Amino acid sequence: MRAEGIKAVWTIARKELIDLFRDRKTVMLGLLLGPLAMPGFILGTGAMVENKVRTQLESTLELPVIGAERAPNLVAFLQSRNIRITAAPEDPIQAVREQEAPVVLRIDPSYAERWRESLPAPVELTYDSSLQDAQIPLQRVQKVLTEYSTTVGALRGLQRGQSPLAGHAVLVGLRDAATPEARRGMLLTFLPYLLILFSFIGSAALVIDVTAGERERQSLEPLLATPVARTTIMSGKILAACLFGLLSVTLIVVAFRISFQLAPGPLQLVHVSLAVALQLLLVLLPMILIGTTLLTLISAGARSVKEAQSYMSILMFLPIVPTFVLMINPLKNQLWQFAVPFLAQNQMLLKLIRGEVISAGEWGVYMLCGFGLGLLLWLVAARLYHRESLGISG
Amino acid sequence: MIQIDNLHKSFRSRTGTVEAVRGVSFSARDGEILGLLGPNGAGKTTTLRMLYTLMAPDRGYIEVDGLDVQEQPTAARRQLGVLPDARGIYKRLTARENIAYFGRLQGLDENTIDARIAALADTLAMGDFLDRRAEGFSQGQRTKTAIARALVHNPRNVILDEPTNGLDVMTTRRLRSFLRGLRDEGHCIVFSSHIMQEVAALCDRIVVIARGEVQASGSPDELRALTGLDDLEDTFVQLAGLEENAA
Repeated sequence: MRAEGIKAVWTIARKELIDLFRDRKTVMLGLLLGPLAMPGFILGTGAMVENKVRTQLESTLELPVIGAERAPNLVAFLQSRNIRITAAPEDPIQAVREQEAPVVLRIDPSYAERWRESLPAPVELTYDSSLQDAQIPLQRVQKVLTEYSTTVGALRGLQRGQSPLAGHAVLVGLRDAATPEARRGMLLTFLPYLLILFSFIGSAALVIDVTAGERERQSLEPLLATPVARTTIMSGKILAACLFGLLSVTLIVVAFRISFQLAPGPLQLVHVSLAVALQLLLVLLPMILIGTTLLTLISAGARSVKEAQSYMSILMFLPIVPTFVLMINPLKNQLWQFAVPFLAQNQMLLKLIRGEVISAGEWGVYMLCGFGLGLLLWLVAARLYHRESLGISG
Repeated sequence: MIQIDNLHKSFRSRTGTVEAVRGVSFSARDGEILGLLGPNGAGKTTTLRMLYTLMAPDRGYIEVDGLDVQEQPTAARRQLGVLPDARGIYKRLTARENIAYFGRLQGLDENTIDARIAALADTLAMGDFLDRRAEGFSQGQRTKTAIARALVHNPRNVILDEPTNGLDVMTTRRLRSFLRGLRDEGHCIVFSSHIMQEVAALCDRIVVIARGEVQASGSPDELRALTGLDDLEDTFVQLAGLEENAA
C-alpha cells in the first residue's frame, strides 16, 4: 500500500512536470525571469552605487554661501578643497528642500567681529537629513570646516606659545570591526528578499494551476474518481512544484554566483564559493516547501484561479517584512530568530552572504522549524483537499 | 453490481437549501446496461458523483460489488471506471499519455497499459489521433479519449455520465456497440442521458429520474406499457412529469 502510494505520488508529479514543461513559454518565464533579473539587479545596483559614491566624493562640490564676503579666508580654504562657491539663495531652507543644493553655508554677520576677538566664529550649515543624497556633500563640507577650524586654532595656540597638541585632550581612533564580506553585505540587504521571494512564490503559477486551474478546467473530477487517495494526489502535485521550485532556485543561485564575479567595484569581491552556494540552496529548501504547501492550501480553498491569485500581492509582501523590521530595528542574533519564518531565512542568508559561521544549533532550529511549518501547512492543505467542493467546478 | 438505496443529498445555496437528490434507489446488475434518464438538473450527475465517492450522501447507502462506498471508498473506486460529466482531458498530453496516466494511477504495469491502449484505441477507432496532443481535439476525440481513460483498467462497473454528448452519429453507433460488447462480457454499465431515444436504443433497463426522485423504472417496453404511449419522447415527458413545466 505504502509503495503503491509513493509510486502514485511520483506518477502524478511526473505528469505535472511533463504537462508544465510542454508549456514552454510559462516555463521560460518561470525559470529564466528570476535568474536573468538577478544579475541585472546586482550588476545594475552595484554600478549605480559605485558611480554615485565616486562622483559625489571626487567631483567639484557646488556650495552656495551666504555672506561669503564676511570670511574671505574661509572661502579661499573651501575653494582649495575642490569646493566651488556659488551664489547664495534667498532662503536656504527653501533651497535645500527643493534640492537646489544639498548643503547651504551661511556665514553669520558677527563672524568677523568674533574672529578678531578669537572667539568661535559662527557659521551655519543648512541641509535635509531625510535626503540620502545630501549625506556625502554634508560630510565633505563639515570635514573641510573642521579642518579649517583646527588648523587656525592650532596656529593661534602657537602664537600664544602653546603646543597645538594641548588643544586635543583625547585622541580618538576608529576601528571598523566589519569583515570585508560584511561591509559589502550592507550593499546586499535586498538580496535575501529576492532569494526568499523567488523560492517562496517562484513556482506559484504551477501550484495554482495544478489545483485551482485543474478544478476550473474540470480535470480534477476524473482524477479524484481513481482509487488514488486525495492526499496522495495533492502530495504528487506538491512534489512537482517543489522540484520545479528547486530547479528555479538552483538557477538563481548559479546566476547569483556568476553575477558577483562580473559585478563592478566592491561587489566583485563577494565570493560565492560552491560551499556557500550549496548552503544557500539548503537554506531555501524549507522556503520552497512552505511556499508550495501554502499556495496549495490557498488553491484548494479558493473557488477559482482568480481568487487564488488575489492572494499573491500579500504573499509577495510577506518576505520583505523582516527586511523592514531589521532596517528599522536591527536585532541581535538570537536563536529564536531562526524559528520565525521569513526572519529566519533572512538571518541565515545574511549570515551566508556576510561570510559568518552558522552554528549547528542554528542550522538545527532553522531546519526543524522550516520543515515543521511546511508539514503543518501540508496537513491543513490535505484537509482542504478532502472537501467535497474540491472536485466540482461551477 | 451497483446497489443504491434511498440516497439523499442537498446543497446550500444563497437562496436556500436545494434538495438535489431525494430518496433515489436503484440497482444495476452485472451483464446489464442501466440507463439513468432525466431532464437537466434532475439529480443524475449528483447521484453518480455520490456513487464514485466525489460527494458523500446526506443519507442512504451505496454498494459496489458488495463494498460499502462510504466505508471503503478506495476499494470501491477500484471497481469503477468513471466518465464524469466533465471530461477533463489534459490538453498538453497526447491521447495515449492521457490514458496511460490513468492506467498508472490504477496501478497497472506498463505492458498492461500498452496492451489496453492498443485494444481500446482499436475498438474506439482512435488510431488517427492517439499520439496527438489533445489540444484542438474535437468533442468526439475528447470523449473517446476520456472513455478509454475511464476503462483502461478494465473495470467491472462502468459509469458514463452523458457519454454521447456532442458525438456524431457514427461515433455514437460505435460507442453503443462497444458498450454492448462490454455488457456481453459481463460488465455492469450505468449510463446517464437526457435523451430518451439514446437510452432506449442501448439500455436493458431505464430508471427515470426527475426532481431528485425516481419516477419510474423498467425496460423501454415496460415504460411504454406503463404510460400507454407509443412515442418514446411522450413516454419520457409524461414519466418525468414535464408537461406542467412545458405548458
